[in-house]
Amino acid sequence: MIEAQSLTKRFSTTTAVDGITFSARPGRVTGFLGPNGAGKSTTMRMIVGLDRPSSGSITVNGRPYAEHTAPIHEVGALLDATAVSGGRSARNHLLAVAATHRIGARRVDEVIRLTGLESVARKRVRGFSLGMGQRLGLATALLGDPATLILDEPVNGLDPDGVVWVRQFVRGLAAEGRTVLLSSHLMSEMAQTADHLVILGRGRIIADAAVTDILADAGGTTVAVRTPDGGLLATALEAHGAGISFPEPDLLSVNGLDSRRIAEIAAQNGAVIYELTPYAASLEEAYMALTRDDVEYHSAGTPREATR
Amino acid sequence: MIAGTPTPSTVVPAGDAAIRHGLSLRGMIRSEWIKLRSIGSTWWMYAALLVMTVGIGTQMSSSTSFAWLGDEQPTQMGMQAAAVNAMILGADINVLVVGVLGVLVIAGEYNTGMIRSTFTAVPRRVPVLLAKAMVFAVVTFLVGILSLAITVPMSIGILAGNGIDVRLDDPHYWRAVIGSLVYVVLVGLIAFGIGAILRNIAGGIALALGLVLVAPIALGLVSGVGPQLVLRNVSLLFPINLGRALTAHPGYPDFAAPGEPPVRLEGLLVLEPWQGALGLVVWVVVLFAAAVVLLKRRDA
Repeated sequence: MIEAQSLTKRFSTTTAVDGITFSARPGRVTGFLGPNGAGKSTTMRMIVGLDRPSSGSITVNGRPYAEHTAPIHEVGALLDATAVSGGRSARNHLLAVAATHRIGARRVDEVIRLTGLESVARKRVRGFSLGMGQRLGLATALLGDPATLILDEPVNGLDPDGVVWVRQFVRGLAAEGRTVLLSSHLMSEMAQTADHLVILGRGRIIADAAVTDILADAGGTTVAVRTPDGGLLATALEAHGAGISFPEPDLLSVNGLDSRRIAEIAAQNGAVIYELTPYAASLEEAYMALTRDDVEYHSAGTPREATR
Repeated sequence: MIAGTPTPSTVVPAGDAAIRHGLSLRGMIRSEWIKLRSIGSTWWMYAALLVMTVGIGTQMSSSTSFAWLGDEQPTQMGMQAAAVNAMILGADINVLVVGVLGVLVIAGEYNTGMIRSTFTAVPRRVPVLLAKAMVFAVVTFLVGILSLAITVPMSIGILAGNGIDVRLDDPHYWRAVIGSLVYVVLVGLIAFGIGAILRNIAGGIALALGLVLVAPIALGLVSGVGPQLVLRNVSLLFPINLGRALTAHPGYPDFAAPGEPPVRLEGLLVLEPWQGALGLVVWVVVLFAAAVVLLKRRDA
């Protein structure tokens, strides 16, 4: 259980995290989502005390991380895969971290096996690919068998096999009743992994809801209707409460009614329909819509339609 | 969304992590020992320390004699001072090695990012800094003791061949020889403190070596009396001169200029050995206090 209360982090000129309140509960994967620079990593660093909050508080299982007697048994953190000395072997890195809590070599070899690092465990970390570094970071996080895991962009740099593996791994951890806070700037990744989303933009919370609710709020289903009787049909549909737009002269984009209902209304009014296509709003679009105003660095000249 | 079909409680078996020990200083010391020994450069530096202590000690011993006195006989005090002189010159080179190593041990973690793993495991930070300093100091001391255990018998044997009979019941001899090692270890800790404050290898090494070597030499160029005498007295507070005080032998005038009255410049201070040791300890304490304050305050 992770709880943030009015958590704020100011750096000299910027406010990275601006008074956010949220919680990550046991038994589910909480997705921490937002564009680059939204404050995700800073928040995660504050959870384990690497950054100090300017104001507000963040606790793990009821108390600040640093006040736990056995911190790495409480929280496993993969914050950045480069937090390793390159000259040391992966196994020695794990042994050193484990020793602080008197965790022995057997557990170290166990997490090496769990994360598939057996073949490189005695090699220097300097030669590791980003993917192997991520696995080593995950192995470090798992050393203490913690009930809470915070993973900052864990699939970054993994090959497709690794991505699927992390996804299933993370789902499995949550199914065991653990608290998992997972960050990503990719909605598609979250859609497949998270149960609950906390969406950040410019240090503030834009949305904090179940994935299904966020989808529903994004407007549900849009139906494209191709018809020569656009004016007639639009009037009839609007009378039934639909939202209508005309992307093309003979094409209606209908919100708020499903395709079956639209067909019935068209028949009652004698409107001819050439085509009737429902489009589910993707989580990606929901996310784009939510964060459009909060992206720090807009790329110029890419109209939103291009992403459809 | 994939619903996820985990096999209960086997995704991550608790294994040995089921037995939970809290953070302990013992664990942190063990952790820091694993870190120190698992980096290759550590052992190269310590090998250099050992080779230089033995090499310089034996070389200086073989080139020390009182043959130039002709028929005159050196005093026993002079011979003791000669033996000390042969043994301690290596320390002035060794402080350069531990000066670099002391910075590397701590600032290296900041350079690689390892410090974030370290502080995630020990979020209170200060104990781990002290554990790291302790492991570094103890290992340096042990390597130094080993170096001296090899060098002292060789030096005494070589000096005997040059007609210098070293009396081993001279407490000043042992204080100076052990003092040279204490000096090296404390300079290592001074460098460690600088590394912890600057968190940067290049800057840390530059400042540490500048403090140990360059600044006292620059001040030492100033000679004479009056206001410049004050500067010379101030330069006594630099680690290298504190180390000189700690490793001084009272028979030195009999070794450097036998038969002549010792020359002492009016107003120029001479520190006692214990004052030298105390001065070095003060350097370490002040730097560590600053490092601890900054450590608590700064983001890692």
